[in-house]
Amino acid sequence: MKKSVLILVTLLLALPMVGWSQSKTVSGTVISGEDNMTLPGVNVRVQGTSRGTVTDIDGSYSIAVSNEETLVFSYIGFLSQEVSVGNQSTIDITLIPDAKTLGEVVVVGYGSVTRGDLTGNVASLKGSEIANVPVPTFQEAIQGRMSGVFVESSSGKVGEGVKIRVRGTSSISGGNDPLYVIDGIPVTSSGTIGKSNPLADINFNDIESFEVLKDASAAAIYGARASNGVVLITTKSGTAGKTKFNVGIQRGVSSPTRKNEFLNAAQYVELMRESGYNNDLANGLDPINNPDDYEDSDLEFVENRLDRYAGHTDWREGTVNTDWQEQAFNPEAGITNVNFSANGGNESTRFYFSTSYDKQDGIMIRNKFERISGRLNLDHRISDRFTIGANFSLARTETTRLPEDNQFNNPIQLVALAPITPIRDENGVLYDRPTTTYYNSLIDSENANWLSTSYRNINNIFGEYSFTENLKFRSDFAVDIINQNDDRFFGSRTITGQGTNGFGTSRWARIVNYNTNNYFTYSNTFDERHQLEVVGGMSFQKTEDNYTRVDGQEFPLDALKTLESAAEIVEGTSTFTNFTFLSYFSRINYKLDNRYLMTLSARYDASSRFGENNRYGFFPAGSLGWILTEEAFLKGKEGLSLLKLRTSYGITGNAEIGNFDHLGLYGPASYGLRPGLQPTQIKNPDLTWETTAQFNVGIEFGLFDDRITGELDYYDKRTSDLLLLLPLPGTSGFASFRQNTGKMQNYGFEVVLNSANYADQNFSWNTSVNFARNINRVRELSEGQNSIPPSSSRFLNGIFIGEPIGVFYGPRYAGVDPTNGDALYYSNEALTETTNDFNEATRMVVGDPNPDFIAGITNDITYKNIQLSFLFQGVFGNDIYEGGGGFYAANGDWFDNSTAIQFNRWQNPGDITNIPQARLGECNGCNASSRFVSDGSYVRLKTLSLGYNLPSSLIEKMKINSARVYFMAQNLLTFTNYMGWDPEVNADYLGSTTSDSNVFQGVDFYSAPQAKTFSLGLNVGL
Amino acid sequence: MKFNYIIQLSFILSAIALLSSCVDQLDLKPAQNVEPEIALGSSTAISRVLIGAYADLRNEDLWGGRTILYAEMLGANNEIRWEGTFNQPREIFNKSIITNNTFITDTWLRAYSAINSINNILDAINLVDEADRDRIRGEALFIRGAVYFELVKLYGLPYSAGNTDTNLAVPIMLTPTTEVEEVTLDPRNTVEEVYQQVLADLETAEDLLPESNEFFARNYVASALLSRVYLQMERFDDARDAADRAITNATANGKSLVNNYMEAFNNEADTQEDLFAIQVNAQDPENNMHLFYSTPDFGGRGGDVTILDTHVSQYEAGDERLEQFVVRAGERRTDKWRDQFRNVKVIRLAEMYLTRAEANFRLGTSVGATPLEDINRIRLRVSLEPKTSLSLEEILLERKLELAHEGHFIHDIKRTRGEIQDNNDNSLQYDYDDPNLVFPIPQREMDANPELVQNPGYGG
Repeated sequence: MKKSVLILVTLLLALPMVGWSQSKTVSGTVISGEDNMTLPGVNVRVQGTSRGTVTDIDGSYSIAVSNEETLVFSYIGFLSQEVSVGNQSTIDITLIPDAKTLGEVVVVGYGSVTRGDLTGNVASLKGSEIANVPVPTFQEAIQGRMSGVFVESSSGKVGEGVKIRVRGTSSISGGNDPLYVIDGIPVTSSGTIGKSNPLADINFNDIESFEVLKDASAAAIYGARASNGVVLITTKSGTAGKTKFNVGIQRGVSSPTRKNEFLNAAQYVELMRESGYNNDLANGLDPINNPDDYEDSDLEFVENRLDRYAGHTDWREGTVNTDWQEQAFNPEAGITNVNFSANGGNESTRFYFSTSYDKQDGIMIRNKFERISGRLNLDHRISDRFTIGANFSLARTETTRLPEDNQFNNPIQLVALAPITPIRDENGVLYDRPTTTYYNSLIDSENANWLSTSYRNINNIFGEYSFTENLKFRSDFAVDIINQNDDRFFGSRTITGQGTNGFGTSRWARIVNYNTNNYFTYSNTFDERHQLEVVGGMSFQKTEDNYTRVDGQEFPLDALKTLESAAEIVEGTSTFTNFTFLSYFSRINYKLDNRYLMTLSARYDASSRFGENNRYGFFPAGSLGWILTEEAFLKGKEGLSLLKLRTSYGITGNAEIGNFDHLGLYGPASYGLRPGLQPTQIKNPDLTWETTAQFNVGIEFGLFDDRITGELDYYDKRTSDLLLLLPLPGTSGFASFRQNTGKMQNYGFEVVLNSANYADQNFSWNTSVNFARNINRVRELSEGQNSIPPSSSRFLNGIFIGEPIGVFYGPRYAGVDPTNGDALYYSNEALTETTNDFNEATRMVVGDPNPDFIAGITNDITYKNIQLSFLFQGVFGNDIYEGGGGFYAANGDWFDNSTAIQFNRWQNPGDITNIPQARLGECNGCNASSRFVSDGSYVRLKTLSLGYNLPSSLIEKMKINSARVYFMAQNLLTFTNYMGWDPEVNADYLGSTTSDSNVFQGVDFYSAPQAKTFSLGLNVGL
Repeated sequence: MKFNYIIQLSFILSAIALLSSCVDQLDLKPAQNVEPEIALGSSTAISRVLIGAYADLRNEDLWGGRTILYAEMLGANNEIRWEGTFNQPREIFNKSIITNNTFITDTWLRAYSAINSINNILDAINLVDEADRDRIRGEALFIRGAVYFELVKLYGLPYSAGNTDTNLAVPIMLTPTTEVEEVTLDPRNTVEEVYQQVLADLETAEDLLPESNEFFARNYVASALLSRVYLQMERFDDARDAADRAITNATANGKSLVNNYMEAFNNEADTQEDLFAIQVNAQDPENNMHLFYSTPDFGGRGGDVTILDTHVSQYEAGDERLEQFVVRAGERRTDKWRDQFRNVKVIRLAEMYLTRAEANFRLGTSVGATPLEDINRIRLRVSLEPKTSLSLEEILLERKLELAHEGHFIHDIKRTRGEIQDNNDNSLQYDYDDPNLVFPIPQREMDANPELVQNPGYGG
């Protein structure tokens, strides 16, 4: 966009001014309502005349007008404003960003086009729209803002994985995350240590724009890696002119969005005693009424346990009532952001420089994220023909990390501890087992350290040479280097280091990704009717991943935490892996008479990941567009400013598979410290990418001078050659075989509506709505295979032909037998018969973790100097399975504390309830079933911001360009019927393999809720 | 303009140079793995694959603890109680096993992974240097026989249930899978067929194995394992002779009972009493018996298994074996699995004396020693008065207590046609041939192989 601004400025400045006799001169400054920076190049025109001017580099203008005349301020990407001059001599204007318009420049693969010429489906978002959103990664910030782009943070742990799905899930065992491309370079987006998220290294204050390439026409130029969509990120570049500085500071506090309610001490005691006593009664004993029965009774067992769990206190007195859940949360949670940027330059050299510090004290104890980042984007024009440039960025992120959700030292697991257990003993020492039911993970807070530090360097140098006005060549060379260190120390009191006098591990990863793009762009217009642009070139990428790990134990003192002090080194490993892509690509854009559009693109991709028989793949796509409003019969029609039809079809691939999946392999396996080898996988020389054929048809419209614009798209994405792990009979020695088979379909529609509800000089109100419905269906698995049923008895996600991926499959809970309190399950598909025998229950689909639709609605309201913006974001129709339900929602099955609702358990014949009778250790309803599945739909007030721009009078006095104070809140309100913590959830430990992470969706397993953040900030422009 | 030409030229040249060098970059090989042609291509490599098969056998899914844990959970008999959070052992303890119990699935997969490695070794055995060939073949057959024996005991009805020609056990796989085309769908073989395969493998192994071979399979280890197989088949004469051979060869190689009972446990290296143990160390730490039986102060979980009074009351006063019972983490535990990074006991010499005594007693013979001598050898070590006369019940009780918590009781119940008391329901007992004491065929296996028939009671 900056480029087009410059062209405009130059053109307009060159226009000869027409002399006119005027009564006076009016001057003023135009600023952008988007970022409150001054706007150069704004067209200022006297209505009904040919007189006009443009704003200069500081956004100021002056023009000769008479009092009766009206000034019109217009600028691409902003709504025009009309102001009658009257007796004013200074007119300052804030231009309000327009809903998406035709003139907007959209970045596409290896180039850019104006939105009006686009024939594919690309969702765009300006960086400024998510500025100051108090989250660590841009992925979280874009949630709810782009249609058809589903975003889900796996939990409220900071700096961890964020799942993004563009138009649904297209793969069962391959990756489903989009390809991330920053300034033309595919960057590393996975593969770092543990659950850390490499995209958290990106400071999103530096981002100018996001574009998500969704349909085949837009994405196919990325070939074998385009099936999951492509996220193009463009960082800010410098603008010629006086150097502008921007300083921002923001502070905020965070708390969990939701908590779960648990039994208090008295209720816990009642439930556990009842649980044991019920067992006794069933065995013909009555230890309460017949003291002789007490010895060796389950009641005695329970009371002994209660004695144990009460520590130095007496549970009978009810003096202790510990809220363990509260202990898991960090009362000091909050955010801090300080950023500074400068941009400027001259005709030949321009720069953008920034540095930023971000800190998030997570809502969970022991969880903190810190990022320091810097960037320098530079470009220099050597001659009219030759431009070179470089983008340098360096970020350091430091995360104090938490273990995976299923670990006892995951803080949320504290909820399992008994409320009768005091936190500390009489000497102030934290209680541990056997006094606590399970490990007291607060010990980790005192006796463990876990710090992950990552340095990320994304550097890109490029040169662009114009052979002629029409032909240019561009060459990029980039490296993306991640250097990560993960140091953990667990002291002698922790669950990890107990028994070995501490345990420490030091892990290092280095991921280096080299990339080069070399391509020609030819553009020309023939006969004033035929506009043609051709792009063609090649790219090569190589990624190398080194990993080293050393584990040690037996530390002399907890104060000595580095492995130097470990008396025993128990594990040391180093691994190396790599992959390459060699690609040739081309795109032809053709436009006839400004109304008929065509785009053809293709990529020829080869990768080391594919088997020798199928190493090269060809991915073509084509699209057509027709701008009806340019036709004579519609041109100038009242009210209809744009009507465009477009359609596309093309083939893309998904190469997110293991680096060496096609080879038959033996791997290391030692025994008794002797070296050994074991078969690990069967070869498949035919193994190759997954293929997605996508059809898209869309309509774009603009009404009433583009006051209302919109897009409506229907798509049908059919993926075949799914990389499936065909389950083999284990008797072969292998559990599975990876092959290209199987089919999946995603189809649905997307709606985008932008409306400038009202705009005048003082008040404006814009609304933007996005809505997407995606229907996912597994169409075909391996030959003769109808399903991949749940792989674990504790979870329900499975794959079934004709159903969406990862549906919950298992027994359907039928409630409680009112006569005896037994948990019941349906024993037939018709749900007419029930059984109390879990193994006799009919297994069926009992829920779907995939949302029916997702939506977002943003309102931007400006009144004078005040801006209010709020985003509601919603996910609808998905189910969540509470994997921890069998422990904390199992009617006192064991000594884990239960959710408050478990107190509604069956007690007497005739009781009508959904909670079965409490029976100690008998699993009355504790098994995985629909009992723990509930609706995960939610609507959130995702972001709310209220800003105030200091008036220009004040600003001038302060000798600054602009100043803005704002309040910003994230996840302010959450509306949901979900039974657990937060409905935006997916247990992190289930995604240890790619196929697991695809199938295990919508599972909550003691996962941290999301953070709700309130912040205040100040931005000053100098 | 010259400058421009140079730039043009250098752009184009560098692009061309890049292109040609990139194509070579498409053929990458992994750094951590090798292809089968290499792994099975030399004598040294094949000996590494044998270690890989031991690694499967030593895995927690098999002899790294779970086969013992399963036996203890099935044979809990209201003498021990499972209290842990893991649902997989708990289902086995409660005798209400779900067909996709991941432990049971993993054990199946691990077992056949070991079998496939062995089949690959046997297929390539001629490449092995002649000097090592018999030993490697013997070790390979030992592992295969051992794994099939574990499988038949867990996934099929006991031999004592009769109908061994019709009762189903597990598929017998004797050829390697190297390519997907070689994957076959095989039905379950009968209990008889699997037992015969186990005998064939172990008998050949016994012949081929040397008498000393570090902690790997030795001839007397094969004899000892054979004695277990024969006991299950109630071939007491063969069991007696195999146990006697094990004792003779083991003692000739320096094996003997340790002086104090508790010295036989928690060892970093094999003791003089160990005929076979899984080597555990901090580098290779898996020991599922320790994990579940020990307590946090010794690096275990929360203390998942409690020893009940009903068990402890069976010991005579003064029995030194009572020393193993200690209250830790709030309940009574056995110290047999207390320490971390200690070997998993698989066969102790004491078992051989007990087996020889029982078989001699049943047959009225005194091969090697009289039953009384063998039993008193066991009793004297734990400071119990020697017996002067014996009954079968006394021998079996001695066996039960001597080998308690080491995975023997349920298999002895099965072969002696006893019963197991349910822990939760006083009125519920499981007969030795109760289908609830047999594992289901894993659901994933049923789904992958339509030739399989599910075990009774598992919705098959």
